[in-house]
Formats: sequence, structure tokens, C-alpha cells
Amino acid sequence: MDFSLSDEQLELQKLARQILLDQTGNERLREIEKEEDRFDEKLWRDLAEAGLLGIGIAEAHGGMDLGFESLCLLIEEIGASVAPVPIVPVLVPTALAIQRFGSEEQARRFLPGVASGETLLTTALIESGNEEFRMPTTKAGRVGAGWILNGSKTCVPFAHRAERVLLAAEMDGGVGVFLLDPHVAGVELRRQQATAGEPQFEVILTDAEIAPDDLLAGPESAASVLGWIEQRSMVAHCAQALGVAECATRMTAQYTSEREQFGVKIATFQAVAQRAADCYVDTQCLRVVTQQAISLLDAERDASEAVAIAKIWAGDVVHRVSHAAQHLHGGIGVDRDYPLFRYCLWAKQLELTQGSSSRLLSGLGERIVAEFRASD
Amino acid sequence: MRIEFTPRQRTLQKELRAYFEQLMTPELRYELSQGTREGGGPEFRKALRQIGADGWISLGWPEALGGQGATPMEQYIFTEEVMRTGFPYPFLTTDAIGPVLAEHGDEEIKRTVLDGILRGEIVIAIGYTEPSAGTDLASLTTRADRDGDDWVINGQKTFTSLADFSDYVWLAARTDPKSKKHRGLSMFLVPSDAEGYSISPIWTLGVRTNATFYDDVRVPAKNLIGGEGNGWGLITGQLNRERLSLVNHGSADMLYREVASWAGATLLPDGSRVIDAHWVQHNLARARVGLEALRLLCWKQAWQMTEGTLQMADASVAKVYGTEFFIELYRLLLEILGQAGTLKQDSPGAILQGKLEFRYRVGSILTFGGGTNEVQRDIVAAAGLGMPRGR
Repeated sequence: MDFSLSDEQLELQKLARQILLDQTGNERLREIEKEEDRFDEKLWRDLAEAGLLGIGIAEAHGGMDLGFESLCLLIEEIGASVAPVPIVPVLVPTALAIQRFGSEEQARRFLPGVASGETLLTTALIESGNEEFRMPTTKAGRVGAGWILNGSKTCVPFAHRAERVLLAAEMDGGVGVFLLDPHVAGVELRRQQATAGEPQFEVILTDAEIAPDDLLAGPESAASVLGWIEQRSMVAHCAQALGVAECATRMTAQYTSEREQFGVKIATFQAVAQRAADCYVDTQCLRVVTQQAISLLDAERDASEAVAIAKIWAGDVVHRVSHAAQHLHGGIGVDRDYPLFRYCLWAKQLELTQGSSSRLLSGLGERIVAEFRASD
Repeated sequence: MRIEFTPRQRTLQKELRAYFEQLMTPELRYELSQGTREGGGPEFRKALRQIGADGWISLGWPEALGGQGATPMEQYIFTEEVMRTGFPYPFLTTDAIGPVLAEHGDEEIKRTVLDGILRGEIVIAIGYTEPSAGTDLASLTTRADRDGDDWVINGQKTFTSLADFSDYVWLAARTDPKSKKHRGLSMFLVPSDAEGYSISPIWTLGVRTNATFYDDVRVPAKNLIGGEGNGWGLITGQLNRERLSLVNHGSADMLYREVASWAGATLLPDGSRVIDAHWVQHNLARARVGLEALRLLCWKQAWQMTEGTLQMADASVAKVYGTEFFIELYRLLLEILGQAGTLKQDSPGAILQGKLEFRYRVGSILTFGGGTNEVQRDIVAAAGLGMPRGR
């Protein structure tokens, strides 16, 4: 039993905090948010230069090879700073999957660019009306040595800047996992306005071509590959949510400790202090369930139940903390001149990304039936 | 990070599970089901002596005090396995008072009381709370006056649980009448056969507890433990450990499993099983999600105690979350049992021996017992979030 971080991880965390603290001040974020894309390219380059984009990437491909657990520390910091960078979509479901399941050639083609910050990748997790990542309705048909795709994906982050979009499509014999070049003919990208301001796209596929060397996994292994990707991406979102919840809680404690009404700091009202304490309790619960899921995945152990539980906690906690934080701040909490609103937006974004609490509870209930139901 | 038991810890868990399984004989289970769930009956005494003879009681005591020096993590595993069985193990006697006696008691106390604890022969009740000193414990007024070689104790305690069968009361009394609050308090061992000591039952929503009365109770000087005026430190020193055993995951997990198994086995008139209903699955999933956080909070806290890094706010987080989750858990599980869940044990039609009917009634003690949750939240706000305290 060991909940501690290694010295190396503590260093990494410190480095990430330093870079993010310098570059995610309210002014800087406001500037970025005037642009069409909520994306800080300079910050992305700085993270790359510090080696942080390569935390999970093998040394042979220009990374530091420090594993999923260390990568999640960076992701938590991204959550805590609401930094305008596509850290999860690029690094987790896409780069990690290419590293784990791709050919040596695919790894060489994409990973060094990811670590150096030049290459963006992304993953299409859902379709309109279908959030089952592993059961796509998009179709892949064989054409020569390659494939053509027909169908659509939705809410795909950074699709317009990505070199490849990892996606699942139905094909002969089952499901395949493909790396789509979103800039080829037959791909239409429709910009979407998502609540937290992350650039997202509907991706319409009409005979869009996939080159022969852009298949990541065929029907024989797609199910396990997609499961692997889904779990890591869910837990990465939990780590991000943890950062959001923790920072919103701290901001609330700090603000109520300074704000005076009736001649006293409002934090001295127990009704205020106790509600802030509830946010702290919630955040600690989210922390331990997230740590457990990370620890299991890092050891490549079965974590499907732990992952669902962590995401349910994430959805519940960001919801409760976000609204408590807004409420305890009063008017300033909803004022866009004050930074709290971004945490509330990301809270909702993360709550509904990759499974709401109710939906995941239903899935967990089915697992419980399998464990406890007597056979007829 | 590595959030799982070490092979050694797993072995201990397995050993303890098998051990307590055989300890819980049908006779003991029957006795505990007959209104003596808190212990005190002959089968309870027999089992506790067995645990003592098998050397388990000193598991978590420091080696310097004759214990086995198990880590708080190992001690937690022990607690969890005990709580899974429902055996009313006297944790406060064995793990709060025992080590204090080993450290501070004189030779005679060690030979008699301490050895008795280690042999599983002695149970001690806690005498802290008074009618006018609950959450504000330091305002207690029971007093002890020096008279020659003795102390003479006068006052009243309330909610002195287990006093109806315990051999001593571990009593907090004011030894300096001029002192205020937490200064001038001392701890005494009061034998339950002492003259002037009497008890009367308090029947609560859940279990029986007691009022205890001290009318010129005379105890020898050696029964003042840990030095005159040092009572407050002895009381608070054990609170974190007490809070961790209050919110232990073991018994709650057993209840969840029993209800899930019942729902998985029980047929409805239409041929489906109780567990086939979506709302039942939802309740079980909610229970499971909450239990997982509780287990991990407990593990983390036991690990922090082992490492010596437990912060004040952490213990309060587990206390608040765990005790309030229990209330919610009993509701989620009782809903699954339906109205028959309200039937008491031994009633025709009672489910799972009426366990949940009993548990929801005792569950409410924990949110205010062991340090009321409002005070815990104040601690979290101040120590965890750095917020200024009111007043």
C-alpha cells in the first residue's frame, strides 16, 4: 500500500505548476479566449520544450517514458489551471494508443512530433445519438488496399488542427480502429460551440479515404483496443476533473476568507465554512477513487469497475463543487472578469464527457447483476 | 503509488478472515442476536478470551509496551475483518485504553488490569460524556478530590456504553477544582464493583447504553493514570484512531453483499428476480460507488498513520464522509428490501434477520458520536482549507 508520489513525480508536478502558473493568469486566458480557437500555442510549445508532452511517450520516440500515472499528474494540473491546451485528446486516447497498439512505423510517424509539440492528434469518442465508443455506426468499406469511411462523429476536439483523428468504424467482420487524416477529400468539419470553449467539430465522412497504413486495429483486436483507450481516456478526464474541483474549492476558501459582510469575513459564518468543507470532503473522495483507477491502469490491471466508479465520482463532485463555489462567491463567481466561471464551464464539460453519472451507474448496476444474480 | 495490499497484508487478511469465521460459532451468533449485540454474554466472553489466548489483542500495540508492533495498516485490516463478522470487539478497551495502561500504569495495574485486557477477560467502558458536557467535553464537572492515599469521585456520566457488563469505567474527572476547561482533568480507572458506583439503563433508538453515577466513589491513587492534570492529552490522543474504527468499511461492505445476494436470489411473482429491476440495480450501484470511496479513504488514512503523515483534516474527512454515507447506505439497501425491511429480527417474514431494521436505528449515533460532524467540518475548513474560524 503506497499512496505517495516518487521524487521524480514531485519534480514533474512542480515543473508543470510553474509553467502553468506563469501562463494561465486571468489576463492571458482572456486574450486567448478572444481568438477563434481556445488554444495557447506558446504554452503548448513551452510544455513540449520542458519535455512534459512526452511524459508518457517512449524515449525512443523523444519522450520521457514516465508512465500513465505521471501523465495524470500533468493532466490534473491542466485541470487546476483550466489551461487552453488539448492535453487529454492528444496525449491519452490517441498518442498512448498509437504507442501501445500501433506499428513501429506508425509510432515513428506520429509520436516524435507529439512529444516535440508539432503534431496534434485527436480521438472521436462519440457519434451523434451514440455514445458507445465501442459500437460505432460509421461504416468502413474496403477499397483497394485501403478503406473509405461513411458516417459522422461529433464533439471531436481540435479535429481541424489534428494530423489524425482516431476513430472506430464498423467493417467486414466487426469493428476497426482507424487513423483518419481529417484534411482529405470526403471529410467535412463543422465547427461546434461547446460549453467550455474548447474547439470541437462535427466530422462528416462521405467516402473519406483511409490509407492502408492508417489502420490501428482490425476486428480481431478492436474490442480490447477500444476498451483500453476508453478506460485511460475516462480516467484522464477524472484527473482533469480533480484539478478543476480542487482549485475551485481553494478559490472559494480564499475568497470567503477575504470577503467581508456584516463587518466580518464571511468564512467565519459556519454556514459558509461547512459548505466549503463539504467541497473538500468531496474532492478527497474523488482523489482516492481516481488514484486507485490510475494505479490499476498503470499496472495494466483490470480496472473497468474502478474506472466507472471514478468517473461517477468525477461527475457528481464537479457538479456539486462547481455550484457550491459559485454560490459561496455570490455575484463575482458568475462575472466573467473573475476566473471562477471557467471552472464551472469545465466542470459541466467534464461531467458529461465519456458518460454521465446516471448512465455509468446503470452500467455498473449490470455488472452487479452479473456478480450477484442467481441463475434461473 | 500502489493502491493494493502487499502480499504480507493479503496473507494477514486471509488468516484473519478464516480465524474469525471459525470464532463466530452458531451459539455466539445466537447470543448476539438476542438483544446482546453489544456483547457481555457468556459466549461473547468465551470468544474474547479465545482471541486473547491466541495473542491477537496486542497486535497493534508498540513493541516497547509488549505489543506486536503491527502497523496501523495491519491494525486496520484486523479491524475490518472483525467488523465484517459482527463480533462486538471492544476496540476502545484494547486499542485506546490498553496501550495507555501499558505506558502509564504501575506494576499492579499492569499485572491485573492490563494482563486482563490482553487475556480478553476485561472490558472497560468509556466515561467521558456528561449531561451538560457533550461536544464541549472539556466543560465536564465530575470531580475527584484527594483524600490521603485515595481519590474520591463525585458526579454523573451519561451514554456510558457497555457499562452494564464492563469491569471498569475509564473516567475523565476534574482533579483541580479551580481549573477551567481542558486543564486540570485526569483519567481514572473505576472498578465497577466500587462502593458508591451505580448505573441505570438508557434505552436509545438503537442499543442500550447507561447513565453512571459516582457518589463518593473511592479509588486508590494508582488508579489515576498518566499523571494528575494530563487527562485531556490522553483523551484526544486516541481520537483519530477511534474515528477510523467508527467508519470502518468492513461491516458496511458485508451488508451490501448480503442485500445484493438476497436481491439476486429472491424471485418475484412474475418470475423475475428482485435484482432485475433497474432501480434496484441503481441503488446497488450507488452503494457500491460510495463504499469504494470509503474503503479507499480508510486505506489512505491507515497508510498515512503508518507513515506518520496523517493531517488533522484527513481524519475529519473520513469521519464526515463515512458516517453520513452509512445513513445513505442503509436507506439505499432498505429500499431494496421494501416494507418487509422494517420487520424486526425473529418476526415472521423478516429479511436478513432484520439486520437493516437494526442498523438504521443505530446508524444515527455516529454522525454526532466520536466528535460531531459540524465540529469535524469546522476542522476541515480551518485545517484543510485555511479558513478563519468563527467567533
